[in-house]
Amino acid sequence: MKPATGHASCRRALNPFHIAIFWLVIVAAVLGLARPVAAEVRQVPAAEMNDGGLFLPADRPGYVVPATTVDTDVHIEVSGMVARARVTQRFVNPTDDWVEGVYVFPLPEDAAVDRLRLLIGERQVIGEIMERAAARQAYEQARDAGQRASLVSQERPNMFTNAVANIPPGEAITVEIEYQEALDYRDEAFSLRFPMVVLPRYIPGDAIGTRPDSGTGWSFDTDRVPDASRITPPVAAPGTGPTNPLRLSVALAPGFPVGSLESPHHAIEVTERPDGGYDIELASADVYTTRDFELVWRPVASAVPTAGVFTERLGDFDYHLIMVMPPEEPGAVLDLPREMVFVIDTSGSMAGDSIVQAREALRFALDRLGPDDRFNIIAFNDQPTSLFTHAQPVSLRSLEAGRRFVDGLIADGGTEMRSALQLALAGPVSEEAFRQIVFITDGSVGNKAELFGLIHSGIGNSRLFTVGIGSAPNSFFMTQAAESGRGTFTYIGNTAQVAERMGDLFARLASPALTDIRIAWPDGTTAESYPGAIPDLYLGEPVIVSARTPAGTEGEITVSGDRGAQTFISTTELNAGQDAAGVAALWARAQIGSLESQIYRGADREAISRQITDVALEYQLVSAYTSLVAIDPTVVRPQVETVTTEAIATNMPDGVDMQMADVAAPPQPLDSLGAIRAMAANGSVQVAQLPRGSTPAGLNMLFGVLCLVAALALLLAARRWVRWMPVSQP
Amino acid sequence: MTRSDNAAGQRRARPRWPLLVALPLLAIGGWQLGEGVYIHAKATLAQFLLERAWAQTLDGDSEVRPWAWADTWPIARLTAPDHGVDLIVLQGASGRTMAFGPGHVSGTAAIGADGLALIGAHRDTHFRFLEHVRPGDALRLQTADGTVYDYRVELTEIVDHRQATLPMIEGRSTVTLVTCYPFDTIAPGGPLRYLVHASQDAPVMASR
Repeated sequence: MKPATGHASCRRALNPFHIAIFWLVIVAAVLGLARPVAAEVRQVPAAEMNDGGLFLPADRPGYVVPATTVDTDVHIEVSGMVARARVTQRFVNPTDDWVEGVYVFPLPEDAAVDRLRLLIGERQVIGEIMERAAARQAYEQARDAGQRASLVSQERPNMFTNAVANIPPGEAITVEIEYQEALDYRDEAFSLRFPMVVLPRYIPGDAIGTRPDSGTGWSFDTDRVPDASRITPPVAAPGTGPTNPLRLSVALAPGFPVGSLESPHHAIEVTERPDGGYDIELASADVYTTRDFELVWRPVASAVPTAGVFTERLGDFDYHLIMVMPPEEPGAVLDLPREMVFVIDTSGSMAGDSIVQAREALRFALDRLGPDDRFNIIAFNDQPTSLFTHAQPVSLRSLEAGRRFVDGLIADGGTEMRSALQLALAGPVSEEAFRQIVFITDGSVGNKAELFGLIHSGIGNSRLFTVGIGSAPNSFFMTQAAESGRGTFTYIGNTAQVAERMGDLFARLASPALTDIRIAWPDGTTAESYPGAIPDLYLGEPVIVSARTPAGTEGEITVSGDRGAQTFISTTELNAGQDAAGVAALWARAQIGSLESQIYRGADREAISRQITDVALEYQLVSAYTSLVAIDPTVVRPQVETVTTEAIATNMPDGVDMQMADVAAPPQPLDSLGAIRAMAANGSVQVAQLPRGSTPAGLNMLFGVLCLVAALALLLAARRWVRWMPVSQP
Repeated sequence: MTRSDNAAGQRRARPRWPLLVALPLLAIGGWQLGEGVYIHAKATLAQFLLERAWAQTLDGDSEVRPWAWADTWPIARLTAPDHGVDLIVLQGASGRTMAFGPGHVSGTAAIGADGLALIGAHRDTHFRFLEHVRPGDALRLQTADGTVYDYRVELTEIVDHRQATLPMIEGRSTVTLVTCYPFDTIAPGGPLRYLVHASQDAPVMASR
């Protein structure tokens, strides 16, 4: 009887009205399906572009598609020698899709990144430190589940990626990142640098396959730079204007009367506070992430600090940041004849202002050579070219040849730094000459580990001094290279600084270095301090040490060193330290940095990475092996919607020529399409409208067959039912 | 089952609603299936008509319309010997044009000339074969004046059309074939495109 009752009720329900509704639904479904199933991107007329934001050409001429951008708000609190920065990144999604934004951004190379917050309305989700792979897994799980999440990982000590998942269409997600850093103090000036943009890196090597953690950059991973896809963010196409606006403010508590305060690359507004501090803001509201910010302040002459100790107590330990300025010896001059080798980067990334500054710096250097010195110049892009086969004595003729060589330098091609370094490090050195290599570059290389190894093994008795050029040089590379080569790093941000900064460098080159620097701790104290071996110091450079001692350590520390035949000794009271939050994080960061440089010296990578992970987990720091991840438990994205991953476009640094073709030309000949592809998001590459290449035929046929099958099934069922009916009658 | 059973008061036994539902379903099914088949038939048959127009073009006529109401004309012949593909390329790459054959996107370089020529077609009809194209495969394009240009595939890739850029080499002739991606999804549209980039060897012959 069951079928009968079933159909009886059906029949009662199925009056003409219901059948009509049924057909309405079917028609609506057909119409719905007839529309393109994948939602089309919102296109706006090009004229609306002045609303701001980044736009990409759409498939309709004259129309553009908005792209996800990042607004950054930076606030830095400076106290004594320590800076604490809060970087607020707002990922704005103007599209109609759910977006995962992947933003590659720079931070100072010694930044100890220790905090991540996801801001959702009034709520905060605090990030936690996890091992890199686990963090990525947790993040991807949350992303796929439709939760808002953020993952901050370190690609290089000065380059980080923030991936933010499930930004709703037309909305934004705000993420706060905090870090701690020690300030740079030399030549009686403190400086604070905030890098804003990643200079496109030169990627040598051959492409290898992708891995689960391959990134969204323009380059493939290569055998020489296995994570190339993670460090090559796309660059906004020329003509779309600068993207990613930035606001920046600094609260400066210098701890001494300030004689001068300047920002060489940005216009600033300074307000003096009654307590002797300063509030500094960018003067223009129209700043984009196109060039690094630098703030330099000097004490008045009577208040030049010669020593400082900053202390933080955490758990069973006291952490100290110690600065000691060795006394200067007026008139102390290096009386060895020198062999100066100038190495200049003439690769494509130096095109524009950078090569002009570099030429200027070289001319300055040639003018200051002593009569007993010898010199040579090596220029390199895809391959090195040297002025002389060996260093030549300074003479009117050799100098003239040098000047002509410098005038003829143009920037073009790749950055094959390895062969240039080999050339500079090799070659005969006369017994009595002291060889100094001055390396002028923007450091846009991806294969730094390879190069550090080369410097370590080849430096011998020579010294390597790096000079960073341009609006966003890779200062991590150059600081490390100089450290490996027992020299110093000098940064030149614009042409106006060339004379001043090169002057400082030459003063350093011409004066004897302070060597064999030792620190004696109070009797019976076990102190762990970094750097382990203090590098030689040049004129105007202080000894800066991060140390950990058992809580309550008191007494004097003695710093000593040799300058030529003289010995200098300085004592400082340890417990006279000023309380400073964040010194412990700096100590841990210094330890990580010291461990990392052991890898370049050939230590076992496996063992070192274990140690770095342990330190980073204990002190809650982001490192190459640990990441910060914040996950909001609420699921916001409906499961029917998908999330689109967008690599956030970055700006080309100011003054760099927009020809990407030159910036990152891999060693292959430029006439291969694959080479161009491995290179660029723009430049010689043109955006065209891509036609839509699919028909609804498959869908039509599928739907048609389904309808036919349904109809036949229905008819068959109806007939069968009629056949069964009598049988089921009693 | 007998008629007498029915007559014995089983008037409910033959409800009419299944028929009311099934007939329109049949009609819609037929229509949709027909649409789908029509698209493929059009794509295949048009190429036969285009062959004739192409022969006339090679004979020196210009802008030969393959049928009276056509708003496009053949401009090149694309062959992929490795894949047994032989197609007539049309002027313009609107949806209407691409129903009949691959279309040369207006505004991109002329085929054989320096610069980048872009040719689009549907992934489920003419450019189905792109799925199997690999770097090193040969592509041959013949233009209306009879010149034959040989290209070699250098690179295939998948891009999002909202952010796509195309590689171009100054002073060299390259051709990029584009279609939708993935090849096997049932729904049309979607943001992904499949690109096949090929660059030219020297022209090998000029014949009429």
